[in-house]
Amino acid sequence: MSERSERTRQHGLSGGGACGAAGDDPLDVRTRILVAAVDQAGSSGLARLRVDDVARRAGVARATVYRHFPGGREQVTAEAVTFEVARFLIALVALIDDIADLAGRLEQGISRGRVLMAEHAVIQRVVDTEPERLLPHLSQSAPLVQAAVRDHLRPHLEAADLVPGTDPEEAADWLGRNVLSFLMASGGWDLDDPDAVRRLVRDNLLAGILAAPVAPAAGCDRRPSQ
Amino acid sequence: MAPSAVVTTSSQERALDAAVELVARWGVTKTTLGDVARAAAMSRATLYRCFPGGKDELFDLLAQREVARLLGAVADAVDAAGDLPTALAAGLHAAARAFDGHAALRFVLDHEPDLATAVLGFAEMDRLLRVVRRALAPHLVRFLDAPDAGWAAEWLARVFLSALVSPTPAFHLADPEVCHRLVRRYLAPAFAARSTAPVDRGTVPSHAASPPVPIH
Repeated sequence: MSERSERTRQHGLSGGGACGAAGDDPLDVRTRILVAAVDQAGSSGLARLRVDDVARRAGVARATVYRHFPGGREQVTAEAVTFEVARFLIALVALIDDIADLAGRLEQGISRGRVLMAEHAVIQRVVDTEPERLLPHLSQSAPLVQAAVRDHLRPHLEAADLVPGTDPEEAADWLGRNVLSFLMASGGWDLDDPDAVRRLVRDNLLAGILAAPVAPAAGCDRRPSQ
Repeated sequence: MAPSAVVTTSSQERALDAAVELVARWGVTKTTLGDVARAAAMSRATLYRCFPGGKDELFDLLAQREVARLLGAVADAVDAAGDLPTALAAGLHAAARAFDGHAALRFVLDHEPDLATAVLGFAEMDRLLRVVRRALAPHLVRFLDAPDAGWAAEWLARVFLSALVSPTPAFHLADPEVCHRLVRRYLAPAFAARSTAPVDRGTVPSHAASPPVPIH
């Protein structure tokens, strides 16, 4: 391949827009392959994800896929899951980016994150039909996801009035883990009910973290509705 | 049937004891019913009579039994505690210790993660959280009203699963100090805000005036 596409590859996502000027595909080849793999997973499922189909969908040669992903099918699958999880988080952060206060941000992160997941056709298909194929890959990327959420929350904790002795990094880690847990499973909480989400976040997740208690959740019952 | 009350016959128990040893060494995938029969010193015919559903039934029952045993260890730790923060921290630590000491569960998580879907994945995680609530809430009603007892049990399970999926030093639950710190900092304050003393059924705080919800 040309020197230019090699350069594009190194730039990754950020270099994507620049090559459109040359009349080439606006996306970096590697990214294009991952996008194609995610789309392909949506139509064929993870079990029948084949390099040939991914290459065709991405409009590249089979050999190009193997050059970028020497591990073939396994590597494409694993990286496509991580890639899609990252895209999901970026989309979620964009949805809640204008919310200034920590409690509101956590509430919307949980509520909108669940809606976003429910609307995501590929995630839904794979979760419904072959969770056993998704889970190993997800658990590979889980520590990365958890670190990304923690790092996202950290500045908001640093800006908040915390209980004396609270380490913002540790508290961000705690909250990130909880949010991810609630994106995976709602448990005894009715997370479609905004009041329940308020109770969960304000009276439970943040109870030991914020010094000046945020406005308590509406109503007087602070427990999950079961 | 609640896994805390998994009903098995003594032949089934013998087979499950043999199977758990085999899984610890070879994993679920490589263990055959023939291996289990040999290790349990029973004929294959007897083994099939114990588990008409074959290997799937045997391993379903085994998973239920081992989860129930782990929850039993947690319940014992909770029962021995004198106050809620101690109960939660001891329960968390007991779960981590029981899991770490369980070679079969560890093998599956490390080498056959696709099989762990039954525990960690989405709808299955909701099912596991229900199982934990049902098993542990009765041990926490000494300290909390029924809905909060269920929630506290669920919260412990979430913390435990998060530590399993993303192990970091700050979440190293095998260290009792870590469990105590997490509970003291993040879990206990949520419940302390509800009431300052263990709930006395005679003087239910006003916010808990609604009738206790049965835990199912």
